Amino acid sequence: MIEILICQIAISILLASIFLIRPSLTSATGWKIVAFIGLCVLPVLCIVGGMNTHVQRSETTRFCTSCHVMVPFGQSLSSDDANHVPAQHFQNHRVPADMACYSCHADYTIYGPLNDKLRGLKRIYLQYVTTPPAAADIRIPGGFKNAQCLHCHAGARSFEENPVHLAMMDTLKSNQVSCLGSGCHDTAHDIVNLDHQKFWKPIQ
Amino acid sequence: MKLAGIGTRRLLQISSALVIVGLLLEIVSLLWFHPLSFVLFAFVAAGLIGLGILVYLVSLLFVAVPSEAADR
Repeated sequence: MIEILICQIAISILLASIFLIRPSLTSATGWKIVAFIGLCVLPVLCIVGGMNTHVQRSETTRFCTSCHVMVPFGQSLSSDDANHVPAQHFQNHRVPADMACYSCHADYTIYGPLNDKLRGLKRIYLQYVTTPPAAADIRIPGGFKNAQCLHCHAGARSFEENPVHLAMMDTLKSNQVSCLGSGCHDTAHDIVNLDHQKFWKPIQ
Repeated sequence: MKLAGIGTRRLLQISSALVIVGLLLEIVSLLWFHPLSFVLFAFVAAGLIGLGILVYLVSLLFVAVPSEAADR
């Protein structure tokens, strides 16, 4: 799809170049219409297309791990540890592998995607303008919310019929007990011990 | 009016230049896979393209010569 967008941008550049070199052409009615398309309609479409492409790209695992500080978090997805929650989700495709980070860390609310982008911009600011925190010191503001797990697991038979989940369903749904911090699923992105871990390598 | 003094053609050239630079930066941002490419697109490229469109629209609104005046 990016090729189509680049073609659209190229056409827009071509039309804009005509009016940069020969603005007098717009005295003819036909060229006025071409100017409107080249300097208004197509550029607007290019902005919309570019924003769409960038937003979709920012949801990919590759994009998240392209940031230096996120590299160990990306590596931890290949941890060969059955108790490592993100690694098990990633390796067994419980979340789309190419959108692994976004699937679990997205804010699934009406303005969630906007909040996610603003948080991302804040991190870019921290990275390039101030001193970025060490990878091990990075924490999710407010902690990891159960709603992010329940977005997929709520209603799933294996989750709902599990006697442990069943006994504490209300406290899980109200976020009183964390899925990750309750001693049940507490290994997530153990980047402090990354050097001592074995890694899974997918068969090519 | 100052804008009228600048002239439609000059405004069209400014608009075209802004749109072209913005679109070229958009291509760079699309081909560059890095978190900063989003910033480049959202704050620089889109801003320049938007400004170019605005200048073009301003040229239509404020510098358009009424047809009666043009006939005289």
